[in-house]
Amino acid sequence: MNTHTDQADPRTPAAQGGSPLRVVIFVTLFVAMIALCVGICGQLYRFLTMVAAAFAARGGDPAKAGEVMKNMAWMVDALTAATALALASIAIRRWIATHVEQRAAFLRTFFLYLCLTAGVVVVLFPFFWMLCTSFKPAGTELLINTSNPFDIVPAEPTIGNFTKVLKLDAAGAAASVDPVEAKKNFGTYFMNSLVVASLAAFLVTLFASMGGYVFAKKELPYKPQLFGVLMATMMIPGMMYMVPQFFMVCSMGLFGTKLAMILPHLASVFGIFMLKQFMETIPSSLIEAARIDGASEWQIFRVVIIPLAMPIILTLFLLTFLSHWSNFLWQLIVTDFENPLSITLPVGLALFRGQYTSDLGLIMSASCFSIVPIVILFLFAQRYFIEGMTQGAVKE
Amino acid sequence: MSAPQNSRETASSLLFLSPFLILFSVFLLFPILYSLYLSFYDSSQGFGLTNLRWVGLSNYIQILGIHWEGGAWKFNDPAFWWSLAVTFLYGGLSIPLGIAAALFLALLLNNKLYGKNFFRSAFFLPNILDMLVVGVIWTLIYAPKYGALAQISSAILGPEQFFNKVGPLASPYTALPAIVFAMVLKGAGFGMVLFLAALQNIPEAVYEAADIDGATKSQQFWYITLPLLQPIIFFMVITGIIGSLNAFTEIYAMTAGGPQIVIGDETLGSTSVAGYYLYKQFEGGRFGYAAAISYVLLAITLGITWIQQRFFAGDKR
Repeated sequence: MNTHTDQADPRTPAAQGGSPLRVVIFVTLFVAMIALCVGICGQLYRFLTMVAAAFAARGGDPAKAGEVMKNMAWMVDALTAATALALASIAIRRWIATHVEQRAAFLRTFFLYLCLTAGVVVVLFPFFWMLCTSFKPAGTELLINTSNPFDIVPAEPTIGNFTKVLKLDAAGAAASVDPVEAKKNFGTYFMNSLVVASLAAFLVTLFASMGGYVFAKKELPYKPQLFGVLMATMMIPGMMYMVPQFFMVCSMGLFGTKLAMILPHLASVFGIFMLKQFMETIPSSLIEAARIDGASEWQIFRVVIIPLAMPIILTLFLLTFLSHWSNFLWQLIVTDFENPLSITLPVGLALFRGQYTSDLGLIMSASCFSIVPIVILFLFAQRYFIEGMTQGAVKE
Repeated sequence: MSAPQNSRETASSLLFLSPFLILFSVFLLFPILYSLYLSFYDSSQGFGLTNLRWVGLSNYIQILGIHWEGGAWKFNDPAFWWSLAVTFLYGGLSIPLGIAAALFLALLLNNKLYGKNFFRSAFFLPNILDMLVVGVIWTLIYAPKYGALAQISSAILGPEQFFNKVGPLASPYTALPAIVFAMVLKGAGFGMVLFLAALQNIPEAVYEAADIDGATKSQQFWYITLPLLQPIIFFMVITGIIGSLNAFTEIYAMTAGGPQIVIGDETLGSTSVAGYYLYKQFEGGRFGYAAAISYVLLAITLGITWIQQRFFAGDKR
């Protein structure tokens, strides 16, 4: 019976091959897995103790933090070993429990996991490196761990870069004599970005829901033609708008204000499209019922449409927030560099990098202000991000 | 519906639509015409609406024209044509590589796996992060001597090698591919999610039928999977082309258009894509010229879109 299935299934030619080969492959993959696990977990655990040590060390003294890290090193090693052992026992037990015929498939899946894990390492490495470097004291960014060049977690960490970027350190206190200079820090930039992105996202979402409702459910002469015009403008490259919008904003006297950053981008054709698609699925009978009950048009919109379309509205809000959080070109153009209240995070980073060209620790800690909040947001709302960004494409 | 009711409905529709419609007309429709108007003016006397001087078509002649000089025809603005070439090279590298990387990841993930959502999210994450910051991080990774790549490669290959002494971004031959590599890693997760959704929509029965007919795995990929993924590939090509024409932030962050390369008797920026060149004109105060360039880019975009529509219109039916 067994030999029969082997012959009938051409997809598992390895099943006819010698078992020793499969054992060799298994051992190779097993060793690779242990190496990956020790590398990744070792660095992650070390990173966690490093952050704890950097914040625990009074006065941000790197040497003291280094002491703390050394004292916690055994914990890192023990945790890494425990993780590796756990993975090893799972792999070996699964291997033994897998029927001989299934072992080729097992090896394939095993290999797949290793590839995916290695892929995640490659894709996320830049951000891990950013986090690690942001804790390195000035002048030590160049130092590498000679015993292990892949160890990028600093041995003697400090939070000095963050205090300097926020102008909370001694030099920052000296700058506070000049209130404009003192405000040029990443705390201000962060708040500016937050205000710009939230306000823009709120208004875009509001106007797009109102417009989307009309296109999905209401009557209007020439509605399809109007929608066609909207869709046609989506093909126009964004670069096209740089010059005329700049002239318009300047002639309105808005140069260097937050309003200048958001006003030209409040009409989101993409948002209208997205909300129209969704609102078309809301049954018209609900609207009719509300109308018979005597609800006004605005009440129908607020009580019936908005709650039902909430998931998609939230998605549009997040996507718009994101696009304004990182809308570098436009914000760079309308920023008045003399006025710290108009400097947002990306512009602030570009400005900052010009001043501290090779001070890696400072640039990286400044970058954290842009990256870390978005990563945290993503962890909580990943479904909205992923579905929102990709669904427009699939529906076409 | 009776006539008065109909007009009430129209009025309320207009009321709902008015905030969007006003903003749309003022900030999206009007600028297209305004840009055309500006493209006939010269602004070299300094910024301001009063300093504009009518120059007719001369901006366009300067951009697109050629002249006779020293026994040969030469472009009036070789840097513009060069930036177009760099843009197409950028697109030509990043679009196929991006599609390949996304498809590869999607095929890996299109299996029964624990933690599939974790991998999906991890690959998608770099997509939503700020382009400028990602560019800055990669610049420092690529940096000679102190960058991560230089340090790791020095530990393996010794200090006397390319990554440590020059760095990929400082050589005109590797700068653009280095940017492409960083951007492909950043963007692969997006295409991956699209491909994954499409792959999961392909019924298992199709593959079972192919198995029975004796098709090999690679035949199944080329003759079943790939054709069914064609709409996604098509979409990614279009967005990729628009993305290349709009590319600016990654160039600004990583190379600022450099490093310089000498071709003929012109010194040109080896990563100066069209979007970056447009920005440089704008930054230099040549607003009318920048407006004219943006119109040329619009014409190119519309041309490409038109060709694709014609090309694929028969295909879809």
